[in-house]
Amino acid sequence: MIRSGGPATTGRGLVWRGLVALTAVGILATAFELYSVHHWNGVEQLVPWVALAVLAVATALVVAPGGTGAVAARVLALLVLAASVYGVVDHALVNFGSGPLDQRFAESWDALPLLTRVWYAVTTEVGPAPTLAPGVLGQTALLLVLATLGDARRPAGR
Amino acid sequence: MTSTVFRLTTACTAALLSLGLVACGGSTATSPGTPATAPAGNAVATAPPADDATEGPTADDDADDTDDDSPSTAGAGAKVSANTASEDEITQALTAAGVSNPGRWAEEVVEYRPYPSDDLDLTKLRQNLAKYNPGEETTDKIVSALTP
Repeated sequence: MIRSGGPATTGRGLVWRGLVALTAVGILATAFELYSVHHWNGVEQLVPWVALAVLAVATALVVAPGGTGAVAARVLALLVLAASVYGVVDHALVNFGSGPLDQRFAESWDALPLLTRVWYAVTTEVGPAPTLAPGVLGQTALLLVLATLGDARRPAGR
Repeated sequence: MTSTVFRLTTACTAALLSLGLVACGGSTATSPGTPATAPAGNAVATAPPADDATEGPTADDDADDTDDDSPSTAGAGAKVSANTASEDEITQALTAAGVSNPGRWAEEVVEYRPYPSDDLDLTKLRQNLAKYNPGEETTDKIVSALTP
């Protein structure tokens, strides 16, 4: 592996820039997906948009000159992670509650074993909400947290 | 350095594709295959006489086996606006139309507002309700109780 430049640019710098770039890509891709599915029906569906805005602010703090915003960025990213977990659980609950609306289960939903109903909800066998989609927000937030930790931290002088 | 930029670009592109695949997988999962317990086709295939249950107590039995979504059902008094009626009013209309779980469906009707005023068949609503796989009969009952 031959690289030009010093360690700061080829090691830590590369990882840091890569993590920040992946965070930015995650924000943009999630925004595109939310736009595609018109994810703005009601206040609850605005939660991921707010989370994206918070994550964008956190990313700006990480790349801002001086690099003093790392702690604040971590806190904001963890808030987004929490919102992501909430989203996954909420989507699963929405699907679970949709069981009786599905013509295949309208008469039998309540009689099914709880684990079966949970499985159908989590796997989107019933309901309209993609269960793990909000997890992308959490993954993106974790990328940003990693960009502020350990050897991946912003290289000095950048 | 050029190779570094190339690698970064490649990595980002791969990540973008991965995210896209995950997101697409999630979205398309809303229309999953039918479970072994009760194939959807069976329920749909029972081509319903929807009007029997949708007309409510004041329905006129002699004239309208197929025209529930026409505005001429004013006699039943069950049609309410999907755009402007309150959730409670929609719930009552759906109840009168014989829809199961009327309260839940009323929530969905309100959630997906607004509906184009010139779309008397409420196509947008039908598309959104389809995510729940309610079946044609239930969808027709819901729409029969609503106007844009």
